[in-house]
Amino acid sequence: MPEPLLYVKSMGVAAIVSAILMLTMSLVSKTANATWRSFSCTLAIGFGLAAGYHVLSLQLAWPPANALDRLLTIIVPVALGTELIAGVRPVPRWVGWLLRITLAVAIPRILLHGSVYLSGPDDGWTRWQAAALLVVSSVLLAAVWSLLSWLSQRSPGFSVPLSLCLSIQSAGMTVMMAGYIKGGAAAIPMVAALSAATIAAGLLSKRGETGLKLDAPVLLGIGVVSLFGLLFIGRFFGRISTTFALTMLLAPLLCWVTELPWLRHRKPALVGSLRLAFVSIPLIVVLLWAKRNFDREMSPLLVQTSAFTLQTY
Amino acid sequence: MRYLSSLCVMTFMIAAFMCFSSNRSSAADVYDYDPVHSSVSFKARHLDISWIHGRFNDVSGKFSLDREDPSKSTFQLTIKTDSVDTANQARDEHLRQPDYFDTKQYPTIEFKSTSVKPITGGYEVTGDFTMHGTTNKITLVMMGGEEHDFKGVKRVAFSIEHALKRSDYGFDKKAIGPIGDKALIMIDCEGVRK
Repeated sequence: MPEPLLYVKSMGVAAIVSAILMLTMSLVSKTANATWRSFSCTLAIGFGLAAGYHVLSLQLAWPPANALDRLLTIIVPVALGTELIAGVRPVPRWVGWLLRITLAVAIPRILLHGSVYLSGPDDGWTRWQAAALLVVSSVLLAAVWSLLSWLSQRSPGFSVPLSLCLSIQSAGMTVMMAGYIKGGAAAIPMVAALSAATIAAGLLSKRGETGLKLDAPVLLGIGVVSLFGLLFIGRFFGRISTTFALTMLLAPLLCWVTELPWLRHRKPALVGSLRLAFVSIPLIVVLLWAKRNFDREMSPLLVQTSAFTLQTY
Repeated sequence: MRYLSSLCVMTFMIAAFMCFSSNRSSAADVYDYDPVHSSVSFKARHLDISWIHGRFNDVSGKFSLDREDPSKSTFQLTIKTDSVDTANQARDEHLRQPDYFDTKQYPTIEFKSTSVKPITGGYEVTGDFTMHGTTNKITLVMMGGEEHDFKGVKRVAFSIEHALKRSDYGFDKKAIGPIGDKALIMIDCEGVRK
């Protein structure tokens, strides 16, 4: 059942752990080169997530029993490991991208493992339907990931990872409003750990020679994988529509609007704000629509048992 | 001649064995679950003051009854979780999601007997009950089992009531809330054979 106080605690703990780790790591090595920043981000997000989920007391099974278990116990740790390897300087960039693309191909298959969708035409899809969905999903994930990485390299800043945080938060709320409470709650530590790590990395990069340049592919990698995973689970195991899922997955790409000639050379703060504003527009529309569906379908099932606890039926 | 007589004896023995085998296999009557005259329903406590009732509309199964040696009888039931029906569409949609039955991951609830013991008025059937990806051994008391012949169709019926805890089957403890952990399953089923 939704427990807002627990969500706030989990969010706070995940954010604090991530931020403290980022700051501690920056104190350990003052030079803060790209490898070290990448390592710091991975560690901060990993521990932030672990602390947040611990407070949230999500009941995760091992071996993983459902898609959310697989996302949190296999995919996110593998994504962290991938970014850790890709972030090491001697590793060529193409190796990093090869690892990322391999992960993008594997994620939909891992999430659908053991479900009706892959059990054959009697219960689920035909082999062709399943293959088509897996290919399209992987291509979509890889496309979003690479386009955001490209943008982040062209004009780095807080805004791209923060736009992913906005999308993840919206995805969590939409999944929750559609009735999958645990799935929606899983977004909370992700948003908190990523936001805290992004802000801390941004503040720390100000100290360095790079000015406001925030070059941390880890933030993008974990953000994109988490967003995709939540939406995929919400669409195929929960009850969110394909339109909602696609809108929220593609919304961060609206950051590209600021690459238009008359916006591109504005002040970084203005560009960042515009990016977040552009990304927020479709997300707000989806959230309002999801709230309308919730009021119509799910709300009559809820009983308010105390000021902070909503329980079903 | 001697060769011929031993051939006859062997043929007789094989024939006798085959007859014996076929008699033994025909001792078990195999029935198909009759969805028209059967129901699988459940109820769970709401806020510990009342009961919420529901049913599963898509059920199939098979049982073979060996009346001479009941321990050789077998029972098998498959329930499609997607067919959950609590007379409230929004609640049914919610129950299908991963917080509850997770019907896309666990499309069926299954029972397969492993041993059968006759009792007064029915059978005590022990078997593997799989729900939400977790299998536990349970014992069902199945009352009934007498065969009725109606217009050439032979029918047998059983009534079962069984209490289980959702938490024993890997349901999220946080999703239990005001709906009690304990649920009562009621199965009234008819089996048919020509």
